[in-house]
Amino acid sequence: MIGSRIVNDRRWIARVGATLFALILLYPFTALFARIGPWQWGEDVRGPLLSSVRVSLLLTGCAMIVIVAIGTPVALYIARCRMRERLLWQAVLLVPILLPPLALGILLTLAFGPYGTVGAWLERFGIVMTNSPAAFVSTQVYVGMGYYVLGAVAAFDAVPSILQKQAALLGLTPWKVFLRVTLPLSRLGLAVALSIAWVRAIGEFGAVVVTAYYPSGMPIQLWVNLQSFGLPAVMPLLVVFLAVALPLPWLVHVLAQRRRHA
Amino acid sequence: MSWPNADAMLRAHVMKQRRQLSVNVSLELEQGCSLGLFGASGAGKSTVLACIAGVEEPDGGYVKLGGLQFFPPSLALHKRPVGYLTQEPGLFPNLSVSENVSFGIPKERARDKEQTHWIETLRDRLHLGPLWHAPAAFISGGQARRVGLARMLARKPPLVLLDEPFAGLDRHLVRELIDDLIFWSRTVGFGIIAVDHQAEVLRRLCPRQVIVLEEGAIVQQGTWDELCMAPATPLLRSLLNPF
Repeated sequence: MIGSRIVNDRRWIARVGATLFALILLYPFTALFARIGPWQWGEDVRGPLLSSVRVSLLLTGCAMIVIVAIGTPVALYIARCRMRERLLWQAVLLVPILLPPLALGILLTLAFGPYGTVGAWLERFGIVMTNSPAAFVSTQVYVGMGYYVLGAVAAFDAVPSILQKQAALLGLTPWKVFLRVTLPLSRLGLAVALSIAWVRAIGEFGAVVVTAYYPSGMPIQLWVNLQSFGLPAVMPLLVVFLAVALPLPWLVHVLAQRRRHA
Repeated sequence: MSWPNADAMLRAHVMKQRRQLSVNVSLELEQGCSLGLFGASGAGKSTVLACIAGVEEPDGGYVKLGGLQFFPPSLALHKRPVGYLTQEPGLFPNLSVSENVSFGIPKERARDKEQTHWIETLRDRLHLGPLWHAPAAFISGGQARRVGLARMLARKPPLVLLDEPFAGLDRHLVRELIDDLIFWSRTVGFGIIAVDHQAEVLRRLCPRQVIVLEEGAIVQQGTWDELCMAPATPLLRSLLNPF
């Protein structure tokens, strides 16, 4: 009786601690109600804002398609590698993740810009890799790919190999095993990986500011508004940014956790 | 369901090097017959079975079912006409029991009258009716074993590999499952290779042909009666008469 009371008391203290922690984490969002004067929503703010939202959603969507199309088979390959080879691939994937975004942007500009071998070659076909939609998408691919692939490897790892072998012994070809067993059982993990890549890519500033200042996505536009008009012009875009970037990954995480504990 | 090698004989010589065990076993099995692999834990029984199924690759030797060469080179799992059931039946947790049982049946065959009847027979004989539409993730271990057995037999493979699938099940159920397996083996015509360290399971399932393994090698083979009359090693004697 006394023991359970002590446990309950401790749990209560832990809950208060966790609540305080959550409040500290969420505290910056109170700035949305800060007294900074009336928010600016004139044509000079609204036009670029809508354009930046369109650019961010469209081009980040394209980047996600590229990331999934390339990253999924790569992740499947890595998940089936022996440990030594897998460590090597993971080390490679960590490079763009660990690199400071600004440094990554500079490297990408030099490598894919007109003075780089690949950049010069692409320009011959009319593909410009600086300040262009292609530059925007490729930068986001570099920024998000590592997050997606590492998450996808973990998702594929979580599917017991015996299930895939059983499916094969039941007559399914490797492709059908992937479609009917591996993919359904890893889809939430893949969705979580993609949502992390999405958040990381859509919010990227440091690398994109170097490689693709134009067309301006939301993070660049936030910066431009801050520099040109001050905080009242930033707030509407900030709200839109939060509304666009956060709900999808948040929902995916909640769903994944619910499924895990079901 | 017809298989290219339904009337085939299995010939296998499995060589596999493990950290503390070197497996070197030859065996043959005629169509519709049953063969037991008996021995203590760690003797290499499951390794032999896994190599025949293809979930592990042998280091050497050969595995043939009639004219179909499983190894070498290693034949893709989906081309091997075998059923493989282990203690962990590996049900697909996102599917229902009925979907699990019908999993390996090609769509064009799923509505075939004979196939439908066979699935219904499996469902009824293995008492899966009450679970039929339940999610496979929420059934008990014993029920899962029955579902795994039904799923394996649904395609009527010519060779069935059983790796201690009855461990942890109650005696009454084990006896029932073994009787069903023997009956189906005769009527459908599939061969059985069963691994177990419980003598009574193999005595019932494979009375005429048993191979005893110790440390990866065959130490005796024959019928159960021959084994019991003159066990070749002290370890086998203690396994046959544990108390």
